Amino acid sequence: MTEQVYFEDVSEGEEIPALKKNCSTQQLVLWAAGSGDFYQIHYDKDFAQKTGLPGLIVHGALKNAFLGQLLHDWIGEQGQLRKFGCSYRGMDVPNEDILCRGVVKKKYADGGKNFVELDIWTEKPDGKKMSPGTALVTLPARA
Amino acid sequence: MTEQNYFEDIKEGQELTAIKISPDKAQLVKFAAGSGDFNPLHFDENFPMLKPMGLSENIVHGRFKYAQVGRLVSAFAGYKGRVKNFGVSYRGMDMLNKEITATGVVTGKRQEGGENLVDLDIWTENADGKKTTPGTAVVALPSRG
Amino acid sequence: MADEFEITDDMRKQFGVDSEPWTYEVTTTSVRMYARGIGSDDPIHYDVDFAKAQGFRSIVAPLGYLGTPVFLPGRNDPTFGFPRREGGPRLNIPFKGLLDGGTETEYLDVICAGDVLEETSHLADLKMRGKMLFVTNESVYKNKATGQVVAKQKLTSIHM
Repeated sequence: MTEQVYFEDVSEGEEIPALKKNCSTQQLVLWAAGSGDFYQIHYDKDFAQKTGLPGLIVHGALKNAFLGQLLHDWIGEQGQLRKFGCSYRGMDVPNEDILCRGVVKKKYADGGKNFVELDIWTEKPDGKKMSPGTALVTLPARA
Repeated sequence: MTEQNYFEDIKEGQELTAIKISPDKAQLVKFAAGSGDFNPLHFDENFPMLKPMGLSENIVHGRFKYAQVGRLVSAFAGYKGRVKNFGVSYRGMDMLNKEITATGVVTGKRQEGGENLVDLDIWTENADGKKTTPGTAVVALPSRG
Repeated sequence: MADEFEITDDMRKQFGVDSEPWTYEVTTTSVRMYARGIGSDDPIHYDVDFAKAQGFRSIVAPLGYLGTPVFLPGRNDPTFGFPRREGGPRLNIPFKGLLDGGTETEYLDVICAGDVLEETSHLADLKMRGKMLFVTNESVYKNKATGQVVAKQKLTSIHM
């Protein structure tokens, strides 16, 4: 269980704790099972190569789900995820680190709620941003 | 839809309608999803366990072959029949993308405890005709009477 | 090592020992996924209305499918999904090689989506054939709602 983060303790420009992922081929098949997306480019190398890909690639939706996990872990039990999304700008491959990161862009109170906007993304081991997106969450106040 | 089999019409020595399938990787991945067996032996050609087993290809789950025999027996029983038991032994490996035939033969019929029972020999065989998954089943069939 | 191995009385004492129970769920989604996994297109496994019209409670589990064990991280095997349980038979088998020897299922009722099963397993058979040890475990599946045993499944593993 992570400690609860409170609105007062968050500042703009702050980075939230990163989440490191590394997908085995088994993880990709588990995701296929969980999501129902059985497109073969994620587990059949020959099929992937026939479509012009260099090999197996990680599902975009799985990277989206990892970013959801990054936010879920940060906002704690009392936070709420209002919306999040990302676009897929490049391919990730199995057995290579995918680092999920987020930075607080803006914080404000509105209608009795404490909102935090974030920039979120995944990046490759060389630091290249792959799945840039944004998120809106609410956090509890200490008061 | 298969037609319902009735006890009176079954003869010893009668062959079952074979089921053929050549499982590709998508099929085995879906079987992993359905069965919960996510052993990469069945979908990752680079899985380190393959080489020590002398394999260069992924192998079909034993339970996938058991399920093909299950399909065969289900079709024989029809919606009004009941499968009492069915079992197989795993005697050989089958490889990805290679044809597997599930088939069987009626070995006996009897009435017991008010049920019309049919005994079956069942198996899967590979393209060379080798029985890789032999077994037996008992099915209760409805009567026309 | 295999030359010296023999089945001991200590091993035979494990026959009566039941594992702790584990819950297996048979849901409409899990039945359809299993049916897709075996390549079946029989509507009895997919179409609830069709299955009910044939006299079943819901879509019928394909033969050999006895539900999916509830998965709890750290308690189930991450690759095979089966529960790693407390209690139950304990055999200290010295062999490294392991093969799946066979599967046998006895049905006492039809299993349909919506069924929640409680499974316990026990050691059913031990035998040596040459230098190979055949271990058969039997799982007994009860319908939680009715308490009736609906199926028994024997799994044989070959150790050598």
